[in-house]
Amino acid sequence: MATPVAEAAARALPNFRTGAKQIFRPNHVITFIRPKPKQPPNLATFVVPLTFNKLDLRDYLFHAYNVEVLAVRSFINERAPIRDGDRGKWYRPRAQKMMIVELAKAFVWPEVPDEAAREGFDYDTWRRTARARDAHQQDMWNRQIGSIPLRTEVGVPSQRKVLRKQAAAILNSEEGWSNRSGVQEDDSAWKEVEKDMEVPEGRQ
Amino acid sequence: MAPSGVIRPSMGAVIGSCRSAQLAGGAPLRLATRATTAARPSHLTSQRAAALSTTASLLKRHKYEGARKTRDNNKHRGESAVRRTGARWRTSVDSEPLPKPVPRDELPAVETDPNHGLWDFFFDRETVAQPPTRDAAHGRAWMVEELRHKSWDDLHRLWWVCVKERNRIATANWERNKSELGFGDVESAERDRQVRITMRGIKHTLTERFNAWEDARKLAETDPEIDLSGGENGTIYTPAEYLEEETFDETETLAAEESEEKAATEAQPAAPKATATLDPAELPTSSKPEGAAPRL
Repeated sequence: MATPVAEAAARALPNFRTGAKQIFRPNHVITFIRPKPKQPPNLATFVVPLTFNKLDLRDYLFHAYNVEVLAVRSFINERAPIRDGDRGKWYRPRAQKMMIVELAKAFVWPEVPDEAAREGFDYDTWRRTARARDAHQQDMWNRQIGSIPLRTEVGVPSQRKVLRKQAAAILNSEEGWSNRSGVQEDDSAWKEVEKDMEVPEGRQ
Repeated sequence: MAPSGVIRPSMGAVIGSCRSAQLAGGAPLRLATRATTAARPSHLTSQRAAALSTTASLLKRHKYEGARKTRDNNKHRGESAVRRTGARWRTSVDSEPLPKPVPRDELPAVETDPNHGLWDFFFDRETVAQPPTRDAAHGRAWMVEELRHKSWDDLHRLWWVCVKERNRIATANWERNKSELGFGDVESAERDRQVRITMRGIKHTLTERFNAWEDARKLAETDPEIDLSGGENGTIYTPAEYLEEETFDETETLAAEESEEKAATEAQPAAPKATATLDPAELPTSSKPEGAAPRL
């Protein structure tokens, strides 16, 4: 059995030769990405700057995070062309470099938290707004390309259903409905809020 | 007149049969073979020679140099899954049963080391990203004035803290968007901004220090009392003697200072000339802390 000192010495040295050039103020942002569902746990994916190479990432992970890497695979994702605004010029965003490393020690990501665990992120509101925004965008796009769906395809809107239900409730009630129904004759529903307020002169 | 190509195959057959007859009957004379061929009809000789079947190669259509081989190159000729012929060759068979792959969900769970270095990419080990309330609970960035009092080691350490924090923020952003956790983009962006301001402050401080050092070095090159190459005994600073004599007489120096002050107050334009010949010992120390300055 090795002594702790010997173990530490063995751990300090990687199984590869690190680069000799010292960089004191690296200004890179490395993003660690959740693996795909069937990706084995000894593979870890990172988004790296386009200037990074495999040796850079290997040394970076070893020195900054004490993670030993056995092999690195690298690829570049070309981005789809997008528009600057609604009517701006088409351009292609800067490509994105990804690297997949083989880890000496496997790392399993935590499961995606279920909706109850996302309460701190206000998930319910976020989902509602996101869906409304997507629906609106789809609607605008349909208008733009001239494919406005027929009323029969869309179906009855939910507001219309609620209105119909309320109207049916009024019509089916015992009192029935008249123009004055719901209006209180004794004026008790009206409330003068600023009755006792003294308004300074010149403001009236 | 018939073309020669028509005659050739039959002639070849005749000659081939003669050769085969020679091989079969030991070593007959050349004359005897001629006699046999002359005596017997050609179709009979070819029938006799068919037992050895040596005619095939000689009757080949392509006999030129580099002609294709007529052997069957298909190893699977005649094999058919429909007719269940099986393979043509005997295959190796082992009595050991083949191992069956274990389904993915029956494999034992891989346990992650709680001290794994990649945990440093996460704010939270459960949700990876932290909720916006916790994301927004940060202080302000380090100011340049605070950083000026820090040593190089402290600044270097702080820089790496910033680098790892930015990696954590980027990882949380990615995870929040891809896994649809919810809100938090604005808080995260503000947190990232504060980290970047700190990093800018570190660069500012180090640049100031470098400029101060360069100024001092250039000044020292022109100073006769300082020898940057090390001199004879390795001493860089050798004070001149007349300075020591002057400092002994306190009354004289005081009077001289007073007169200088008077002159400075009376004639303001003279001040820049005085600063042009500044002594290196009187350099302002505010931009260059003593403890943190690099040394030769």
